[in-house]
Amino acid sequence: MTAAQVPWAAWLLFAAPVTAILFGFFVMRRLKPEWTHVPILVSCAVVTASAFWLAAEVYTGHSFDLNLFRFAEAGTWAVDFGLRIDGPGVAVLAMVSFVGSLIHLYAAGYMKGDAGFSRFFLVFHLFFLAMIGLLTANNFVQLYLFWELVGVASYLLVGFWFHKESARKAALKAFLTNRVGDFGLLLAVLLIVLQFKITHFHLLYLKAASGAAFELLPVIGVLLVWAACAKSAQFPLYFWLPDAMEGPTPTSALMHAATMVTAGVFLLVRSWPLIAAVPGLPHLIAWIGAFTALFAAIIAGTKKDLKRILAYSTVSHLGLMMLALGLGQVGVALFHLIVHGFFKAALFLCAGNIAHALHQPTANVDDVGGLQKSMRLTYLSFLLAAFSLAGVFPLGGFFSKDAILDAAWHHGGGLAVMGMLVAAGSAFYIFRMLFLAFYGARPEQKRAPHAHEAEPILGVPVLFLALGAAAAGLLKGPIERFVVMGWHGMPSGLPGLDVVLNLPGEPFLPHLNLTVAGLGTFMAALGALAAWRLTMSDPGFDWRWRGGALEAAFESDFGWKTFVDGFASAVSRLAGFTGKVLDKGGVDGLVEGTSGFARAAGAAIARSAQGRVNDYLWWMLAGTALLLGRVLR
Amino acid sequence: MSLTAVVWATTGSLFSFGLAIVVFRRQLLAMLLGLELMLAAVNVSLVHHAGLFDDAEALAVVALVIAVAAAEAVVGLALILRMRRGGRGADAALLTELQG
Amino acid sequence: MSHPLTILWAAPLAGAVVCAVAGSRAKYAALGFSALFVGLIAALGFAQGSNAALAVVNEIGPVWSYGISYRLSADSLSIGLIGLTAFLNLICVVASWELEVSPWYWACFLALASALTGVFLARDLFFFYVFWEATLIPMFFIIGLWGSSNRLHAAVKFFLFTFAGSVFMLLALLALVSAHHRVSGVWTWDLAVLDASALGSAAPLVFWGLVLGFAVKIPMIPLHTWLPDAHTEAPAAGSVMLAGVMLKMGVYGLLRVAMPLFPTLSFDALPVLGGLAAFSTIYGALCAMAQTDLKRMIAYSSIAHLGFCLLGVLSRTSQGLAGGTLQLVNHGLTTGALFLMVGFLYERSHKRGLADFGDLASRAPYLAFFFGFSTLASVGLPGLNGFVGEFMALSGALAALPILAFAGVLGVTLAAAYALPAFQAVFWAPAGPGSVSDKVTDLDARERAVLWTLSALMLWIGLAPRPWLAYFEPALRGLVR
Repeated sequence: MTAAQVPWAAWLLFAAPVTAILFGFFVMRRLKPEWTHVPILVSCAVVTASAFWLAAEVYTGHSFDLNLFRFAEAGTWAVDFGLRIDGPGVAVLAMVSFVGSLIHLYAAGYMKGDAGFSRFFLVFHLFFLAMIGLLTANNFVQLYLFWELVGVASYLLVGFWFHKESARKAALKAFLTNRVGDFGLLLAVLLIVLQFKITHFHLLYLKAASGAAFELLPVIGVLLVWAACAKSAQFPLYFWLPDAMEGPTPTSALMHAATMVTAGVFLLVRSWPLIAAVPGLPHLIAWIGAFTALFAAIIAGTKKDLKRILAYSTVSHLGLMMLALGLGQVGVALFHLIVHGFFKAALFLCAGNIAHALHQPTANVDDVGGLQKSMRLTYLSFLLAAFSLAGVFPLGGFFSKDAILDAAWHHGGGLAVMGMLVAAGSAFYIFRMLFLAFYGARPEQKRAPHAHEAEPILGVPVLFLALGAAAAGLLKGPIERFVVMGWHGMPSGLPGLDVVLNLPGEPFLPHLNLTVAGLGTFMAALGALAAWRLTMSDPGFDWRWRGGALEAAFESDFGWKTFVDGFASAVSRLAGFTGKVLDKGGVDGLVEGTSGFARAAGAAIARSAQGRVNDYLWWMLAGTALLLGRVLR
Repeated sequence: MSLTAVVWATTGSLFSFGLAIVVFRRQLLAMLLGLELMLAAVNVSLVHHAGLFDDAEALAVVALVIAVAAAEAVVGLALILRMRRGGRGADAALLTELQG
Repeated sequence: MSHPLTILWAAPLAGAVVCAVAGSRAKYAALGFSALFVGLIAALGFAQGSNAALAVVNEIGPVWSYGISYRLSADSLSIGLIGLTAFLNLICVVASWELEVSPWYWACFLALASALTGVFLARDLFFFYVFWEATLIPMFFIIGLWGSSNRLHAAVKFFLFTFAGSVFMLLALLALVSAHHRVSGVWTWDLAVLDASALGSAAPLVFWGLVLGFAVKIPMIPLHTWLPDAHTEAPAAGSVMLAGVMLKMGVYGLLRVAMPLFPTLSFDALPVLGGLAAFSTIYGALCAMAQTDLKRMIAYSSIAHLGFCLLGVLSRTSQGLAGGTLQLVNHGLTTGALFLMVGFLYERSHKRGLADFGDLASRAPYLAFFFGFSTLASVGLPGLNGFVGEFMALSGALAALPILAFAGVLGVTLAAAYALPAFQAVFWAPAGPGSVSDKVTDLDARERAVLWTLSALMLWIGLAPRPWLAYFEPALRGLVR
């Protein structure tokens, strides 16, 4: 395939956002900033249409991977950039573009009247562009480029309301934590260049399938996992995500629920043949995912800020995706990624509607209560999305979560147990949120007396997303097929994917297992019941049992945040020491000391020239004696 | 002991005395006298060695040295008188304009 | 034109003389000569680049006693760096337009440009040394006469420190030339003819003497402490020329003189020199984190950035050399832009501290945009110029000695830790009680034009670096085999 044969839709994916951003920056921002969203919404529509068109193409078997231009070259070393339109990429792209467009529409209503309206839309769309680039990259260097760009967009959006100190700190924390992860990704990419001489995915897959041993592969694999843990907020690098809720709700909904955080999972999907070739690494990923999922689910149940509950929920679900990957179920992980995008975005936008109704940036459990009557549409959407999250049949979340639990169950051992506990925990925290926000108001809550339903521009996207979350179960078949299409044409013997390629026609998403499904639903019901017990039948429980040491433990995520803060302050103390003491006092002190030394030496020597004639005569005598001695000898 | 040895001993010690006086004493007049002593000692040695080697040019040098010593004594005395009249005193240790 | 290269370095010098006598019209003369200089180097670059056979322009003049000859040559490395000098010089003149300074200010900048051009053109080691030292004089005056409060101390420190380093370089050059004479009976200072085999067992001494001279200029830890003071006290345009071009002299010296003369020794020295370079990427970042003065912070970041250039160049791999050399140009653009903007802040408020501002994003949005853009480029955001150079340099370093690349990646990670908090403190945080933010008006059209040009270049090199890399390749291939 040549560049001329690349379908229009692929070019439009990039051309539309770039045009919209440039037009918005140079024209709209100057003339009519409050209309900056118009070209951008048009671009969203174009991108969504293109993405779905490309998805249809891939579905009928026309995926492609093509180098388009040479980015850098030196001697025999070269980096090419290109496009990879294949199953996994285009499946996630379709979700990202659809969910993203709805959130752009929501943001047009949510951010109306904000002084930085124009700036918000431009950066938001820049993020959108970066995500498209990340999903269609055909080599690691290009992926790294868009990965970093996504990080920068996140920094600018989390710190959007930069007058607030909490927002500034959260933005910095998000960027620096991602940078620590990017340390792993950059080093991994450099090592890939060193080991394989190329970074293109399809060529690397060929090399991985060749069965040769590559000494650097374990290091590369671990570094890729490290990078994914930072971006996808896994333990130990998850702590930036809850604080990133300082950004406006559309940011949280798009970036920190549906797209940016899934970039880590996507990275692992793209590198799967490399990672699966390292013995023990998938197992490690599974355990990291399971631990994070459980840890975050427990903490989610203790938080009071609505958006933070959802943030920890995202961390937990990303853990589930990692667990699925670690068990070798690439398709399941992608399926959950897509379904999660729908219901998490819907939940975030509901929380945004609540906050908007209260005229606050975010809402706390203390501020709400009994919103069922005053915000019917939001309540309905929330209910749908919550049931989907908890994994209730026949909503979308049931199918994806059940597939993961099934895989864990078959693996057995600790992972199976943790999987079931996570199912209970997820139901617990989401139903706790539902009950506290929408049902009977407790005396400790303010009830939001002036809350009213959001206007259509805010309500309709939420409804669409919730319906999508409900219906996403129907996507199970197509996702299956997309993933197969993605690895289509791959050589046989590719580690981690034998089950896909060598058995054509065999569905590789696990069939419905009644035991697991039943157990999963039972655990969810258990969690919901616990939430009922603690919030509804005993109102005020949530406020009474918190206090003192327990609250401090919850605030600091059972001490992990304290540890991280200690580490960060140690680094800045090291910097202070290096800059002020070591450099200024030590190294520069030596340099400045030379002038003092020179002056002291000069003063010492000057003592021999005091102007006294007798001293001079002594010197003359000595010199003459020396010369005479030399001459006479 | 030969005459030459005696002359060397005498003039050598006279020269050393003169040198010691110049180096160690602080009064300018004394330093001047020391200088004259050194020159005189050199003169005596020269005269003896002129006779010893029958060298007439050495005697010419003696005459030159006597003239120089006289001139230098005049200039030195004039300078010392100038210093004393100007109130600066004649103590070498106190005249430190050439201090480094 | 029979002596194009002489005209190239003499034109700015002539301009300096004209400025010195021009009185109140000096800045117009400076602008004219700077534009002329840019035109000359552009013409030379195009003429050379379009014809592969004309890849190197030579100019050979008379030979004097002891083999000192007038020998100039311009390959793509030299032309690239002279192009950077000319461009930054023009930027400096435009950026300093509103300053009330004596005509000697403009004369000094043009003289500096002339001397720098001479360094990049000279192929006779004597003239190389003469031009090398000649750059110190205008810079000394720029810092000492038009700098900030502590300018004299900084100027003297800069001069003595760099001069002392160059003395070792001179000794090394003398040893080289006399060894050559001893072995072959011919006096010559011609770089193409001299070789280090005549030195025998004294070769390491001479190599390290040369390296010492270049290391002070680069600057390499631990010989770097002149840089923060010089940069902080220099006027904005002075810092731009200092950081933008003068620091590159050190790396250029390594590439042109030290590495071709001592190929095996420079390879064996990789653990030490490369280790210092890698260490400086981390050390510079840590020191930058501790600074409260914007200019000092950017100065330390320069130390870190030059560490990357060095890592790439020392690795002797094709991608490392290409990336390190491109990074020289990148750093000139990025750090130049940052220093200019700090200069704009200082002109308006006479303050440079991080705590002295605040909330500038709402008062001066253009400044905030450009500062953020340049900060991201300096931090190595892919898509902007910093990433390409750093990536290629690290790739080269990894192939040569892996531990160096590990430290380098750590340096990349740390870069964000000083740059973003500083950006936030100045532009996002609210203005404190002692803040001078009220005095800061947004950029005017002239300042915006300068920064648009620099930013456009940063984006161009970041998105399409291949032609820029390809331009330097023939020269690099010829230098380091």
